[in-house]
Amino acid sequence: MRNEFRVPGPRRERASARDLGHLKRLFPYARRYAWPLGAALAGLLVTRLLDAVVPQFLKIAIDSLADDAIEPNLAVPALAILGIVAARFLVYVLSRRVLRRISISICYDLRKRFFNAVQYQGPGFFNRFGTGDLMSRAVNDIGMVRMVVSFGWVTVMLFGFTLAAGLYFMIDMSPELTAWVVLPLPVVALTAFFMARGMFPYFRDRQEAMADVTSFTQENLNGIRTIQAMAQEEHEIARFRRVGTRYAQKVYRATRYQGFMNLAMAVLIPISPIIILFHGGSLVLAGSLSVGEFTAFSAYLLMVSGSITAIGWSLSLFTAAAAGTQRIFEVLDTPREVTDAATGAVESEVRGELSFTGLRYGHPGAARPAIDGIDLTVAAGETVALLGRVGSGKSTLLKAAVRLLDTPRGMVFLDGQDICDLPLARLREAITLVPQDPFLFSTTLRENLTYDTPGRPDDLIVGAAEAAGLGDTLRELADGLDTLVGERGVTLSGGQKQRATLARGLIRNAPVLLLDDCFSSVDTETEERILRHLQGLRGGRTTLLVSHRVSTARHADRIYVIDNGHVLESGTHAELLARGGYYADLEAVQSNQDQDRARKSRLLHDLEADAPVLASAAGGDA
Amino acid sequence: MSEATRDYSAFDAELTHQALNLRLFARLLGWMKPYRITLFTSVALVVGAAAMSVLLPVIQGRVVVDTILLPNAASADLPDYGLVDATEWLVASLGVEPLTAAVLLFILLVLAQAVLMFAHRLTLASSALKALRDLRLDLFAALERKPASFYDRVAVGRVMTRVTNDVENLFELLLGFGMLAGEFVPFVLALFLMFHISTEVTGLLLLVIPAAAAATYVFRMAMREIFRLVRDSVSGLNQYMQEDLMGIEVVQLSGREARNAEEYRRRNQENRRQEFRAIDHEVVFETFNTSLASIAVAVVIWYGGGEVVREEISLGSIILFNQYINMMINPVVAVGQQFNTLFRSMASGERIFQALDWDERIHEPPAPVRLPERLRGEIEFRNVRFAYPGGEDVLKDVSFQIAPGEKLAIVGPTGSGKSTVIRLLARFYDFADGMIFLDGTDVNAIATHDLRQRIGVVLQDFHVFSGTVLDNIALSNPAITRERAQWAARAANADPFIRQLADGYDTELAERGHNLSQGQQQLLAFARVLAADPEILVLDEATSSIDTGSELAIQEALHRITEGRTSIVIAHRLQTIQECDRVLVLHRGQVREHGTHEELIARRGIYYTLHELQFQDSAVAAELQGLDTEPTTPDARSRWAGPRDGRGDLPDFDPAEGGPRTF
Repeated sequence: MRNEFRVPGPRRERASARDLGHLKRLFPYARRYAWPLGAALAGLLVTRLLDAVVPQFLKIAIDSLADDAIEPNLAVPALAILGIVAARFLVYVLSRRVLRRISISICYDLRKRFFNAVQYQGPGFFNRFGTGDLMSRAVNDIGMVRMVVSFGWVTVMLFGFTLAAGLYFMIDMSPELTAWVVLPLPVVALTAFFMARGMFPYFRDRQEAMADVTSFTQENLNGIRTIQAMAQEEHEIARFRRVGTRYAQKVYRATRYQGFMNLAMAVLIPISPIIILFHGGSLVLAGSLSVGEFTAFSAYLLMVSGSITAIGWSLSLFTAAAAGTQRIFEVLDTPREVTDAATGAVESEVRGELSFTGLRYGHPGAARPAIDGIDLTVAAGETVALLGRVGSGKSTLLKAAVRLLDTPRGMVFLDGQDICDLPLARLREAITLVPQDPFLFSTTLRENLTYDTPGRPDDLIVGAAEAAGLGDTLRELADGLDTLVGERGVTLSGGQKQRATLARGLIRNAPVLLLDDCFSSVDTETEERILRHLQGLRGGRTTLLVSHRVSTARHADRIYVIDNGHVLESGTHAELLARGGYYADLEAVQSNQDQDRARKSRLLHDLEADAPVLASAAGGDA
Repeated sequence: MSEATRDYSAFDAELTHQALNLRLFARLLGWMKPYRITLFTSVALVVGAAAMSVLLPVIQGRVVVDTILLPNAASADLPDYGLVDATEWLVASLGVEPLTAAVLLFILLVLAQAVLMFAHRLTLASSALKALRDLRLDLFAALERKPASFYDRVAVGRVMTRVTNDVENLFELLLGFGMLAGEFVPFVLALFLMFHISTEVTGLLLLVIPAAAAATYVFRMAMREIFRLVRDSVSGLNQYMQEDLMGIEVVQLSGREARNAEEYRRRNQENRRQEFRAIDHEVVFETFNTSLASIAVAVVIWYGGGEVVREEISLGSIILFNQYINMMINPVVAVGQQFNTLFRSMASGERIFQALDWDERIHEPPAPVRLPERLRGEIEFRNVRFAYPGGEDVLKDVSFQIAPGEKLAIVGPTGSGKSTVIRLLARFYDFADGMIFLDGTDVNAIATHDLRQRIGVVLQDFHVFSGTVLDNIALSNPAITRERAQWAARAANADPFIRQLADGYDTELAERGHNLSQGQQQLLAFARVLAADPEILVLDEATSSIDTGSELAIQEALHRITEGRTSIVIAHRLQTIQECDRVLVLHRGQVREHGTHEELIARRGIYYTLHELQFQDSAVAAELQGLDTEPTTPDARSRWAGPRDGRGDLPDFDPAEGGPRTF
């Protein structure tokens, strides 16, 4: 059974015996199932015992045939074997089912905790663990745990028992032959262990090469228009040949290693049977071993050597699973970044006054703070626009207001109350942020628009869609609100997605609305229309919007120009124009009424001189 | 396949075939052909290895037990395949004990078997891997050459998995065949041997096979549905988590954490339920097969033992039979295991060949006209009419000329057909009505590859490939050196911002260019096109707003790069077109106005209105309502709203222009 959902594999190369301690973390999860686990184990021990008895009957039967002195005795051993088979079948099926159900349940518990833990994490966490990384932990590493619980662990637990049972019967028949036969087995076990462990880097290489093929193909086909426009098809095909050949080579190398592994085992494993054949055969000729014992010996050897190779394999599985366990708990152990204040007194009516005092915030690892002392108050009912270059800190400011970024106490206030004192759910109800990146879930448009509170009446949803300028789109879609969007449905254009995101924010009708540059893919005319509509809709409530366009900002009561984490200038549209600063320059360039090339180049020069253009790469507001 | 009969939905359908389709295997063998010698060697090796594994128990049972340990009369005429003679020969020539000789022979066979099997695995993997690498390359090349109209209709995600997963499935299939051969050859040899020794015992043992086969069949049939449900529940679970993680901000902003955790728990439970069901069945089946082997042992002891007593067969034969039991059951188990792989790979094969056989392509002239070393850069559209497949006319009788070195701006409301003009010029689509000339040569007579090298098209959305800035400018064209790329970046005004990146030209760009602003991407797009030094420059400007710094840089760059080059600028923001010599106004697929900026302003027509709309705070917006609404059938709209995965941000979807927005 293979999962069609593929994620990059876990790194296993550094797994070593020292990491085995991490497996201890799984004990609390296993403890819940202590009783069934014990019962399953006991059942499996019984099956091993039954397995060990079968060769005894084989021995009896063959001896009775080989030795003329003994009456042929066939029916009893045959019936006994059949009886044992039936009993074994029942016990084995039951214990195995219980055991495997436990392994599934443990993974269920782990996954549930994993999802819950991740749900409440903040941006620092997601910077550290990417989506692909988290998925790989949730899928591959938890899968590893399942393997180790359902197979590896039991093999190790049963190993001693099987060995003891097999050895008991063998020593009973011939201690000397037993000693000889057992001698090569540790070598077999060690070889199995080291070769199985040596396999991991090959697997990883192979997986990585496959990931290369996948990402090359994906990227190439996504950019097929560019490639064809630039007539680069043949070059790309040549590159693909290299990527594909490299993958084939990696698979071949992994297969060759596996081949060597099989070769080594195929040579090592028969050593003990050869000893039985040679030494056991001599003992039979010397009359100190019966032919039946000779045959039974082979059967016991099979049992013992099987469990010895299995333990080599299981131990290698253990080291890999230990690394996986570590990776799972690394996520589970990360404390929540944003702490929820459950106690804060909550005003029943939010007026919507939002103020930032001396706001300072640096992204983890960034050289300079994204926001470096901003004082800004949006009065209840006011509309304020933020303007500024990419990376100036505008988005950071908006995120701080809804605690998507955790700022210290005493910096952001809603109606005069420190937002750190408000319960998160309450805060995010009062302040709605429409983020810059238009993200839609792959479900119906209806569910996307009323994501926060499913089950709103359709007229409300349609109303919000109209307000966001999505009305026409909605009418064009054959299934209307029931249209599936996202990966598995209709792919909306960037502008449509942006408007849907906006509708999702508008529908909440929050006292404070924060719009983070959510018109960038919408053409100016449509934007105008939406903004005009918005003014009526939001009348009397607070709106804070980020934009690049003067034409957007001019609708606001007041405008702040943010640069390098500071407020550069602020005022009304008219005031700022009169001031003749950055805003005025911007207005001139964007409205294009000013044909003065000199002024343009001056602005361009200013911009280039100190522009840390790629500040966004460090986690700014791109 | 004609335009009308192409069924693109085939690419969206899940192909899950129930019936064996042998034609697929025959086609697959076509790719194995260059490596047939390796493949045949591999098959020969597996037969050899199988023979060894069948002979090993003969040494134990017939040579050691029957002739050395318990010499008896009953065994004299039972077959031993010359192994008794070989042992005797060894005894005679080496002067060792018979037992030692038998053990030596045994060791020899063990080593031979191990080495043959090793060689078999390597040769099989080698030939299969090479064949599939070729198949994968052919498939990729076929997809690479599919025209724009194909990608308008088929989601990239759908065709992509054919190159990756589906080819992998075929590899699994080939390995599976190898595995089956490794099980079946010993089975047949062992059966042959067993019949030789005792027809009765063998006949009795053969009853085990239908039992195992029936169990396998029943199990597989029962499990197909269960496994499918498990797979669905697993992918449902994982997709839910992945999407939740990707939209985590929205989740938290909407206060959906608890609700989503609950939904995840529901899916997790469903998954657990399905997994429980699956393993409950699986355990029974696994245990049944091992039990079957033990039952067979009992049969051999009971009936075979009786035969020994009756002196029909030897004791050694009993031991031999015992060892062959697994050889009888294993192939049945192996077939069961390969069952799913077989059906899965058949569907995969079908998907691969469907993509390979898809014959949609841009018309290539049989004897293309070679363009001169240096073009003058004269373009003429003569009565061009065009409609996207299944749509209405997007261009209706469009004619215009561009003189060498001239800069032409094409403007018009959304849906006027602006972008289509350049799509036809660069021959992304075939057109039948009207002619387009480049320096007097019909573009349909020029090889598309040649044509596209001469016409540099800057697409609306800049596609960032993962790699360095330099890689993104040069693409995979080996002719573009570092110096050339840097020159292009300077010309396109991209140099200043590139130099500020952490590693300059060697900075790795994130997938989809998330670490570049829109404007920076646009500048890079200019640089990319300039690096190839096309004689004709075509810019399809993006609608998105970009930050002012980049906006200015773009205007500067435009001014510089169009200098002395025939250029066409599709302008959405009218400020970009001030550098142009002439403006062409398209409306509803027709040329409505053309002239210089001043002339058109004076004329107070469509251009004037558009201009007012953008610069005068939309005072005239109401007046324009009529301009923007195109009469289209609802039918045409929904058709274009089909799934188009993985395309990044498409500019606004507008049905009137009929086509995709990306060109």
